[in-house]
Amino acid sequence: MLPFTQIVGLERAQQALLLLAVNPALKGVAIAATVGSGKSTLARAFAELLPASTPFVELPLNITEDRLLGGLDLEATLATGRRVVEPGLLARAHGGVLYVDGLNLLDRTVVTHLVEALSSNVVRVERDGLSAVHPSEFMLIATFDPSDGDVSPSLLDRLALFVPLTPSAVAAARAEVVRRNLWPAEADDEVAMLRSLIQVARQALPHVRISDEQVQALLHTALSLGVEGNRADIFAVEAALAAAALEGRTQVDDSDLRLAAQLVLVPRATRSPHEQLQAATHERAPQPPPTPSDGDETQRDGQADEPRLPEEMLLEAVKTELPPDLLGLPFALQRKSRASGRRGVALNARRGRFVRAVEGDLRCGRIALLPTLLAAAPWQRLRQTECPHHNGRIQVRRGDLRVKRFRDRAGMLYVFVVDASGSMAINRMREAKGAAIRLLQDAYVHRDHVALIAFRGRAAQVLLPVAQSVERAKRELDVLPTGGGTPLASALLAALQIIRQARSRGIAQATLVLMTDGRANVGIAAADRQTLREEVRRLAQLIVAERINSVVIDTQVNYLSRSEAAELATWLGGRYVYLPNAKADQIAQKAMSISSAIRR
Amino acid sequence: MPARATSLPVYPFTAIVGQDEMKLCLLLNVVDPRIGGVMIMGHRGTGKSTAVRALADVLPSIVRVVGDPYNRAPDDPTYWAEHTQNGKRPRTERVPVPVVDLPLGATEDRVCGTIDIEAALTQGVKRFAPGLLAQANRGFLYIDEVNLLDDHLVDVLLDVAASGWNVVEREGISVRHPARFVLVGSGNPEEGELRPQLLDRFGLHARIVTITDVAQRMEIVRRRRAFDADPQAFLRAWQPQQRALRRRILAAQQRLPHVEISEGVLALMAELCMKLNVDGHRGELTLARASAALAALEGRTSVTADDVRRVAVPALRHRLRRDPLETTDAGDKVVEAWRETLAARHPSASQATMAT
Repeated sequence: MLPFTQIVGLERAQQALLLLAVNPALKGVAIAATVGSGKSTLARAFAELLPASTPFVELPLNITEDRLLGGLDLEATLATGRRVVEPGLLARAHGGVLYVDGLNLLDRTVVTHLVEALSSNVVRVERDGLSAVHPSEFMLIATFDPSDGDVSPSLLDRLALFVPLTPSAVAAARAEVVRRNLWPAEADDEVAMLRSLIQVARQALPHVRISDEQVQALLHTALSLGVEGNRADIFAVEAALAAAALEGRTQVDDSDLRLAAQLVLVPRATRSPHEQLQAATHERAPQPPPTPSDGDETQRDGQADEPRLPEEMLLEAVKTELPPDLLGLPFALQRKSRASGRRGVALNARRGRFVRAVEGDLRCGRIALLPTLLAAAPWQRLRQTECPHHNGRIQVRRGDLRVKRFRDRAGMLYVFVVDASGSMAINRMREAKGAAIRLLQDAYVHRDHVALIAFRGRAAQVLLPVAQSVERAKRELDVLPTGGGTPLASALLAALQIIRQARSRGIAQATLVLMTDGRANVGIAAADRQTLREEVRRLAQLIVAERINSVVIDTQVNYLSRSEAAELATWLGGRYVYLPNAKADQIAQKAMSISSAIRR
Repeated sequence: MPARATSLPVYPFTAIVGQDEMKLCLLLNVVDPRIGGVMIMGHRGTGKSTAVRALADVLPSIVRVVGDPYNRAPDDPTYWAEHTQNGKRPRTERVPVPVVDLPLGATEDRVCGTIDIEAALTQGVKRFAPGLLAQANRGFLYIDEVNLLDDHLVDVLLDVAASGWNVVEREGISVRHPARFVLVGSGNPEEGELRPQLLDRFGLHARIVTITDVAQRMEIVRRRRAFDADPQAFLRAWQPQQRALRRRILAAQQRLPHVEISEGVLALMAELCMKLNVDGHRGELTLARASAALAALEGRTSVTADDVRRVAVPALRHRLRRDPLETTDAGDKVVEAWRETLAARHPSASQATMAT
């Protein structure tokens, strides 16, 4: 394994990790990196820098809830006759490092527990008849590949430090890693030095001072970047203190503020400071500077030639640090407008992989053997006295039965495919939007997802990617473009792709709601009418083969004959409904009536 | 008995900067638990859970039967039904009002209670081990990230919260015990929507946003750092404020039965609800209870129109009919409706009232 000092190209990540090592109040580091960039090597090398007894626990992506939180230790329980709680992973990481590779691939439940442990420093077990509180204060090192999807913002928010992806550095790093591997040289000495440096810095940390002016500079920067919440303010201050301690200073200086802003505030930016700069510096004027607490106003060496306010300096530094495309930042991503290009995977998508065992009978699921035996175990003594004729065999009763549950068993994805071509499209679009939002609000909003595709002009456009949040749907469906040709085939293809993606993330059931009043007149490859129909028919077949349930809502105003919409419904094996002035409620109801039949 | 992590120092309630709507909503529920709890929705890192966890320290104590797992008062009929004390009064003790934290990973058996595993293992007997709902009786039950809780558990909680009783029928035991508690939930709307049915069950709905005032943020950082550096010293420094708030709450609780709402003010509440098309009477009822609690908290025995104004937004914003296409904040609508209600009453005075 490569020692910490030998890993190159991840300087920013190393800096962040050193700050964390000095000040565990920073809670953790999130590192965006692609495969093979040495992130996991770095995490393990980091553990080497800490005192030898520090636990290093790796969190596997497929961890179950009871392994994470802790559960009944059956062996010890049976042996001692007292219930013995086996600490979970979160408790075992107490006082040490918890490492997650692939933060954005974790199940939402696991993320939630991580967040809770990070904020309360304990893990509370209230399950399976057990009740326990274990201390769980750890440093979280989390890496993720941004192309795998978004990371839960509430988890990121609880980690002070964030290191964005820098592709150029990765390439340089690889070459350097190879070169240094050939000459391992004084690596051990370097690691030993770093280790003692961290120790010294840790002890010095409580004595490092930060002036009110400097704190204010950090707060202004946070405000002008649109950072949400107050947690980042405190993290930024702690990071600046750690940076100073690491450099052997007892007073925070400009470079410490810059580093803190880079690692804590910039990644949390939700807007560019340019438009805010004026307002922010303005705001400050009328407020009297807060009274300095004990002896903060010490002289600041090296700043005499630079009479600028720290906040101006900081904002300048931050501006150069800010990526040209703010939307690549994890927190801005949430708020990005529809106009942006790349789209992440829906936040907090629940995955179907995660299994949990619940009480139930065998008619409603497959038996989960181990949980069933676990459930039966404690009662054996009781049952032996009640029914002694079983001769010591394990007695399993109906109440012990546990069946496997997939978390998203009932989750439904509604894909609205709406014809936005022609003059009447604006009404149709508005009602479809209403239906989409209503479904999110009224149907089991916890589990259901909605996506909306509009087709007009040359191709289909995903207006709302798979989403669960009403707030998000409202935001993204703010503008509804209409008019132009009718590229039906392109829309069906987009729907199919969206559903396939959703299924790979565990949303098993999908309902397609197609709203159109006319016939396709723009194909994917086809030019003439005949091949155009053929494209649509074959896509419909694919959709049927994927076992997607459909409803076609025919919205043509002048009903002349059963249109091609009816034919399409037949191809899709779905229901045909004629609703010329479909209202949001009606559409939502149709969609729900179809899906409720599937759910049962 | 499950250990509560009370050993960790808790940030004092009175030291929380800003977020007045949230703090007020919590305090009103302390004064009158019949208000029906509070849902706090807002940005990350704005002190939602800090505030709820801090609440415990300013709550007045309650008297319960010594060691009763359901925190029952000595005159609770369910206690008498279980224990025939041959006329003797049971021994009692003063305990703090329970604030029970419901972790998201909790399973139903621990929430509702189940058969005592240890007793079954060691003595081979069936005995009921009370759950979190028992602990929360006469206190507060707090669910952080309530929008992420299992639907099934939410249903159970709402059932119990509505009826005040927890009924357990499992593993061959049958128990029914009182479980009256103030339900407090918090969450971030961007993380996942709440079921509307759930929203309606909370008496008040507070919204909080990131504080943008630099001076306030400075103060937050300063206090937080002082607390983290030396929690005990910080707690000592805030002891007078905490004690004062405790006294104020106690006085308000005692004053509450004497608070009166005039016909005129009641009519104002009804008009406001009518203007907003609030279904049913829960809106008016909550409005009345919350404004009475506010008057009591401020040392008055009659509710003024201004009390109604101050509680109207959290009492009503979640009770408006939802229009999927509506983008106006529900709170703004309540404010607007209040303005109109007053204007209809006193065309000249409305301006002045809103300005305060």
